[in-house]
This record gives sequence, C-alpha cells and structure tokens, in this order.
Amino acid sequence: MNEQAQATGHIFQIRWIPKYTFVERLLHWVHTASFVPLVATGLVLYLDFLKPLAQGEAGEWMRLVHRLTAILFVGEPVIYGILQPRRLWMHIKEFSFERDDLGWMKSAFGYYVLGRHTDMPPQGRFNTGEKINGMVMILTWALFVGTGLVMWFGKGLVPADIFRLMVMVHDLTMIAAVCMFIVHLYLALAHPLMWAALVSMRFGYTSASYAAEHHAKWYYGPKRAQELYEAKKKAASSKH
Amino acid sequence: MVMLRKAMLIDESRCTACRGCQVACKQWNDLEGWGYSHTKNTGSYENPPRLSPQTWTRIKFNEYEGSEGFRWLFLKEGCMHCGDPACVHSCPTAALKQNPDGRITLEPDLCNGCGYCTQFCPFDVPKLEVSSLLTGRAKVSKCNFCQDRTDNSLIPACVKTCPAGALFWGDRDKMIAAGKKRIEALQARGFRQANLYGENLVGGLGRLYVLIEKPQAYGLPAYPKYPYFATLWQNLVHPLGKVAMGGTLLGVLAAWIIIRRNIKMEDVE
Repeated sequence: MNEQAQATGHIFQIRWIPKYTFVERLLHWVHTASFVPLVATGLVLYLDFLKPLAQGEAGEWMRLVHRLTAILFVGEPVIYGILQPRRLWMHIKEFSFERDDLGWMKSAFGYYVLGRHTDMPPQGRFNTGEKINGMVMILTWALFVGTGLVMWFGKGLVPADIFRLMVMVHDLTMIAAVCMFIVHLYLALAHPLMWAALVSMRFGYTSASYAAEHHAKWYYGPKRAQELYEAKKKAASSKH
Repeated sequence: MVMLRKAMLIDESRCTACRGCQVACKQWNDLEGWGYSHTKNTGSYENPPRLSPQTWTRIKFNEYEGSEGFRWLFLKEGCMHCGDPACVHSCPTAALKQNPDGRITLEPDLCNGCGYCTQFCPFDVPKLEVSSLLTGRAKVSKCNFCQDRTDNSLIPACVKTCPAGALFWGDRDKMIAAGKKRIEALQARGFRQANLYGENLVGGLGRLYVLIEKPQAYGLPAYPKYPYFATLWQNLVHPLGKVAMGGTLLGVLAAWIIIRRNIKMEDVE
C-alpha cells in the first residue's frame, strides 16, 4: 500500500497526472500502425515459410501495401517536425544520453529482473531503457527512409552496387528494429514494473506515485530527486 | 543421375549480324517488336538499342578500330545463365530458378516485380516491365534458353534459325571443347587475340563466346564478379538476422517467465 492510499484510506486511490500530449500519443500510435504492416509485408520476402505470400499476385499486394504504409511511416514524423519543431527537438534532447544513464544500466538487471528496489538512480520522463528505444527508433527510421527511397525511386538510376548495399542495409535496419520492437512490446504489455506505461500512452496520464517512483527526475525535478535518492540510499545502508 | 550442364556456344567470328536470332526469339517467345520499342535511328545499324522486357536477345554492333582499320565486332547479347546465379539467390519469390542442367528459368506467375534480380545480375540482363512507376507494379523477363523447347529436347529458337552457323547448343563440356578447337583454328589463321569467354566466369557461364578480340572490345566485363553484397546479404545478414530475432524472442520469453516469479504486482507502486 502506498502513502497516498494510506492517507486516503483507500488502496485504489490513484492521482492521475498528465504525461504525454495528445499529439505525442498520436505520433506513437500512427508510428505503430505504419511500422507493424511494414514489417509484416517486408518479412514475407525474408522468412521462408511466408514465401507463398511474396509470390505473384499476393506479392504484388504486399509490395503495394508496403509502399502505401511507407508514405505514412515517412510522413508522420516529418509532419510532426513541421507542426511542432520545438517538441521534436525536445524529444531528441530527452532521448540523449547523460552520465547517470550508466547508473541505470548497472542497476537495470537487478531492478527489472530480480526485483531489487533500492539501487535505481532517479529517471527522467523517459528512463535510460526508453531512451535507448527512442534513439534506436530515430536511427532506424532514418535508415529505413534513406535506403527505402533509393530502392523505390533509384532502381537503374544509382549504380547497382549502391542499390545492393541499400537492400542489405534495409534488411539490417529491419532486424535491429524488430529486435527492439519485441522487447518494447513485452515491456509495454507484460512487465509488472511497467504497468503505467501502456495506460499513459493510451490516455496520456500516469499515476503520481508511479511517476514519483519511476520518473523521479521528471516528477520532482533533478535536484530534489537526487536528494531523495541519496537519503533513501543512506537509510538503506544504516539499516545494515 | 547428375544432369549434364547445357550451354550455348556463340561463335562471334561467324556472326554476320543478320539478326535472324532476334526475330526467331521474338517469334517463338511471343515478344512484341516495333509496337513495343518504337526505336529511332541513333547512327548505328544496331536495333533495338538495348535488351528490354520484350527483347531477350539482340546483336550489339561494336564499332572497333583495330590495326587493320575499322571493323564491327558483333555480340549476341542475352542472359549468361551463370553457374553461380546472383539473380536466383536474390529472388525472394523463387520465380527465378536454376535448373539441374544449368538453365536459369523464370516463372512469371511467381514474380512479384521487386526487381532485385535486375540489380544483382553482374551482366545487367534481366529487365523489368514496369506498368506503374508509383505503385511499382512490374514483371521481370529475360532469356530462358527457350525453356519450352529445351525441355522437350529441341534446340533454342535462335540456334535453330542461325544461318551463319554461329550458334550451337549442347552439353557444356562439348561446347567448351568445340569452342577451344575453334579458338585454335582462329589463332592459326592469325586472330591472335581469339579467346573463349565464360568457361570459368561466375561459376561458369551457360553462354560461351568465341571472341576474336579481347572481351573489353566487345563491351564485356573481363572479370565479372558475383556481387560482393549478394554474398554478404544472403550468407551473413539473413542467417544472423534470424538468430538475432529468434534470440530476442526467446530471451523475452525467458525474461517473462523469470520476472513474473521475481516481481509481484502487489508490491509494485
């Protein structure tokens, strides 16, 4: 039972605070809605048991759907960047790594796998893992778009070796993105410590006590979060 | 029983550029001519100017300035039917197939028009018929050594029609032997550069040329290579990718099982 619940005498009491704007969530879900069909229609060329779907008429449909969704995939962050350039720049800064991200990496296994609570340094609106996901997403987006455009429009215009390289890099990018996506999907849907993530990406709100625990740097501000973290560490070590 | 590789031997020293092979190819394979190409005079006798989805073979007129003055070097262009076919390996639909006798054949119904083969071919042979640039709807086509004829023990249409006796069809080792014999005869007659093209290139070509000058004089690559990126892509990226994606899936499954025991929802803030 948390402090909030004790104060109100009701364990189901959650104070909701805003975390993501409407446009941010729209960006996230449009990205999902384009990424998933793109992977599905692309994998038919890669996995042998899906080969029948790549052949003939079915394959022509796959290629058409791939291109139509690619327009969405390419367009959605570009439109976001045009409409809200400062927000986009903020995301890039939010996703950038800092010194104390090393602390997360050291503690992540104990915290997320073994369930040890004490040693996780305070995190911002996105924790280090989410930052990695964000950065991989930005990088793979750029690679997908760059190589994809050459494959779409450059056939016969660019030297064959460049085209071949693009095909290979497109596949490598897909492999990296799909691996990241599998981890992302698991964390969002099934990891107990991430229960608020899906809720906040769906409705834009997160639990205040969840934010205080998992995103202290964002919730309290960096200075206060650090103080609380030090105090918590001290209390834990004096117990021994 | 191991099937013997078949090959076409093209004796360019005998070719008169009558282009009977071009016509026979179009006639047998039901390919369009003028109605498709609408070619214009570009100052050369050669026509059409390049291979196309409707032109699977054509005579290229190389204008060559040798020690004895100007001469034409005719080259019957078309699919080389490589022993190590990058087009087949890069085809994601199995529309392109390497037959046991070495012919690289195409099943148009399976082709989805991706065009990888056109880009991975070391000789730039397969051609895409693009019906829409925007949607990318397309079909590839190329010489298949008259699959329907050769499947039934007939010789390809171009070989059948050649009045100059420059085209031969048969077991590849016999074609190589015949080609070498012809080279010897040509060299004895003073064609000192005469050479057999394709015996060991890209896994051994199914289309062998008797040339009287160096391959470069014909516009043929002297050392065509199986594309480096095809090897890297097919033999490294694809298997490693499957390991990486499968590994991630298994890792996440393991994490799910372990973590649901270690972390209880009722202890979570």
